[in-house]
Amino acid sequence: MIRYLVLLAIATTFAVTARASDAKTPVVIYDGKATEVSAAPEASNDLWITTGDLTRATRFVIKPQGVCRDELCFPLPKNRKAEFVSKKGPTTWFNLSAFAKLIKQPVVVDQKNGVWYFGARDAEQNGYLTSLEAPNFTLPDLNGKLHSLADFRGKKVLLVTWASW
Amino acid sequence: MLYKELRARNFEIISVAQDTGGAKAAGPWITAAKPEYTALVDEKQIVTQKYGMVNVPTGVWINEQGRIVRPNEVAFIDDRFKSFTNVESAPYIDAIRDWAANGAKSVYVLSEAESKARLKPPSDDRARADAEFALAEYLYKQGKGVDAIPHFKEAQRLDPDNWNYKRQAWALSDAERDYGTNFGKEVKKLNGKPYYQPRKLPEAKKGANDRRN
Repeated sequence: MIRYLVLLAIATTFAVTARASDAKTPVVIYDGKATEVSAAPEASNDLWITTGDLTRATRFVIKPQGVCRDELCFPLPKNRKAEFVSKKGPTTWFNLSAFAKLIKQPVVVDQKNGVWYFGARDAEQNGYLTSLEAPNFTLPDLNGKLHSLADFRGKKVLLVTWASW
Repeated sequence: MLYKELRARNFEIISVAQDTGGAKAAGPWITAAKPEYTALVDEKQIVTQKYGMVNVPTGVWINEQGRIVRPNEVAFIDDRFKSFTNVESAPYIDAIRDWAANGAKSVYVLSEAESKARLKPPSDDRARADAEFALAEYLYKQGKGVDAIPHFKEAQRLDPDNWNYKRQAWALSDAERDYGTNFGKEVKKLNGKPYYQPRKLPEAKKGANDRRN
């Protein structure tokens, strides 16, 4: 009986730990790359992440002129700053899902697994419709060797897709 | 074979498998075909997304400057599936030969205006569908195939004409059980409408200047 209770106690502890740790590690997928981030202290339908995680997951940095990556800067609307940035003690939190809406980036979430997927912004995705520049891609062959469309510049290329299904 | 004949004319074929199952799913087909052209595997359907494709096989012609000179269209280069698809490969192969030989002067190379007109701007829903599909693909790869299903379904709902997003999801699952349908049933629902959008190839003979399209 005692052995049973000990087992039950251990099992319960495990279950609680597992649930807590699941909830604590949201995953952000940005530019196709998955990064685990720290969970915000308060429950929210939005994704609040630390500014450290912001840079780690997306390479964006908060600057006086806006939220920036390389030469690209998105100013935050002045009267709505609190929707995007929140300082709690030593940590600054950033609302990445609200920012995605601001910059017209599709964002979808799987709440159960805490996975947030950030898609291509309209400007990144649809430039070729007017420029007619074939979007570049880099993909492996069967041996894992990577090939880019750009490697074939100077030749006529028939790009053709198929599938096994 | 077509590629051997044409590669002397500064011409390349890049074939890209749109397969979540990756090399495991596409590999046996590629190995059997023993291709000399470049055969790539695209587990995340990045090409489908970047080029706004909705079906396979889809072909895009890209010139020496990396510009699109014929956008997405059905692109059979053999007749293996002709009994199902009702699409002959011969006119398309003739068009490719003409392009390889005549380059920008080929009657099959479209004007910029025509290429732009044929490229439809995707809807906001397509952008969300791409994201839902990518999220589903990620969950599936994490061993969470059941959790992936609602996101595959959402991608299909948002972009209902996208056969790549339907057929891939069905192939990863028991389609009847998880999606209440299958490929055969969905094709039947088209009710005689073609499964493939017909190609718009000019009927002009080699070297003619007449651009009827």
